[in-house]
Amino acid sequence: MVPKSLLWVLLALPALWWAVAAVQPDADLEALLHPTGELSARLLIAALVVTPLVRLVPRWRGLIRYRRAIGVAAFGYGLLHLVFYVIAMGSLDDMLAELGARGIWTGWLALLLMLPLALTSNQAAVRALGRSWKPLQRLAYPAALLTLLHWVFVHDGLTSALLHFVPLALLEATRFLPSQRRFA
Amino acid sequence: MKLIISALALSLAAAVAVPASATGVMTCQGDKAKWQSIAKLTDTIIKDGWKVRKAKVDGGCYEVYGTTPEGDRVEAYFDPITLEKLYVSRRGEVLFQKAK
Repeated sequence: MVPKSLLWVLLALPALWWAVAAVQPDADLEALLHPTGELSARLLIAALVVTPLVRLVPRWRGLIRYRRAIGVAAFGYGLLHLVFYVIAMGSLDDMLAELGARGIWTGWLALLLMLPLALTSNQAAVRALGRSWKPLQRLAYPAALLTLLHWVFVHDGLTSALLHFVPLALLEATRFLPSQRRFA
Repeated sequence: MKLIISALALSLAAAVAVPASATGVMTCQGDKAKWQSIAKLTDTIIKDGWKVRKAKVDGGCYEVYGTTPEGDRVEAYFDPITLEKLYVSRRGEVLFQKAK
């Protein structure tokens, strides 16, 4: 079993790499948008597949303890993606001009939905929110849907985005299968 | 059960393996020997009032990241042989498409 602290370090490594790449004199921030956004989406998917995966394969229930770190990292890379976007655009006017494009507002909204999730991903918030913590965390599903739409629209193509989200959709679908243990 | 898990593993592998560069919205055919230079394209459109941030080949077309004379920050595709403007989009929102 990987210690959680090691997982946090591993999850932070790509950010370090991209931060170094971004401060190079000839850095092309536009080119860093795709990898940061893609990693954020991958981590969001990874966090979301844990529950249906463990339901399918109860032996893997140990994965649950990593879910929070993965989810917070998904937000972190979303934020890095946004920071690179803002720097690459370099103009508030240009950003406002494209805010209405469906490929852009979907991204803003997805990250906005992930913000309260990241802020409440700690024990103090879990205790303070009590029974409303779980319904709040379910915002991850609309966030994932918006992330998929953002990807499809901004990238002018379905293939890559769908290849990422179809596994998530399939796993979510297995929740509607009758539980095998219950009927055993 | 094993089948579901294998199908998932396979689709995940495919997702990771598909190259990120394959954008695929526009493709241009035509003899590469007849291509004009990409510098000729950027010179021409800069004279027309464009600002060019980056120009490269994508799908056999010239793809330009820049700002139009109207002030829209866009991604535009040009025919590498005729240098004709084919397609202009802003984050997937189509602003111009050459009539077929």
